[in-house]
Amino acid sequence: MRLRIPNRLEDVFLALDRAEGTLDRAEVDPSCRADVRLVLEELLVNTVRHGYPDGREGSIEILLRVETDVVHLELRDDAVPFDPLQYETPELPGDIARREIGGLGLHLARSIASDFHYARDADGNRVVIRFDPSDEPAT
Amino acid sequence: MTLIVRSETPSTHRTVVWLEGRLDAANYTALDEALRDITPLVDNGGTLVVDLSALEYISSAGLRSLAQLRKSMHDRDARTLLLNPQPQVKKVFEIVKAVPIAEVFATVAELDQYLDHMQRQVSGTG
Repeated sequence: MRLRIPNRLEDVFLALDRAEGTLDRAEVDPSCRADVRLVLEELLVNTVRHGYPDGREGSIEILLRVETDVVHLELRDDAVPFDPLQYETPELPGDIARREIGGLGLHLARSIASDFHYARDADGNRVVIRFDPSDEPAT
Repeated sequence: MTLIVRSETPSTHRTVVWLEGRLDAANYTALDEALRDITPLVDNGGTLVVDLSALEYISSAGLRSLAQLRKSMHDRDARTLLLNPQPQVKKVFEIVKAVPIAEVFATVAELDQYLDHMQRQVSGTG
């Protein structure tokens, strides 16, 4: 799947549904599908909310490729430079109601992806993520 | 698939909220709104049970809503218990250590047993 969307929340959710359809047709197991959806949601929502502080129109590209035992995801955007890997891990002392919960989505995305790379080039931000469904414990 | 919220107040001590579908950045405000109507039904010292049996998916936006719910219940001296989270929801709870494990129950029987125990402690008959 290759998809280019504007930096709007409603387009993010259309893209999530498209991605899930692609994974479904490729018979990726449900728990890996949910992982990909979650990582996509957290990263794309973050980009839309914080990536364009000047309010300009932006463009986000989503590439999703399924191989036998692995799902590859690549995101490119023309937002302000942002490396999700450099974002501080929130403190997780047990009770979410009693603490600040900023950074939670990025923490989730990094924890769930099997492999996560960031690069910045002339075109903007580029994140490359790999999911290994076989990493999943049997449920 | 979107989010469906239902609630029932079988007694003044207990209100049950059922969540069904997905709870994410697209719809968490709908939950926040529904909860604004539901939480005042719970007495001080009462219990709000959030039944997660039919919730298939949660993201950080949904976690924030549940966290705010727990906080507002805590502020009015009521407790929030979570029932039967499904694999994706459980996994997310575990990664972010979202809720104390003692407040998550796999079955209604377990939850009832816990509440009975709390009740006996309060009334001194346990």
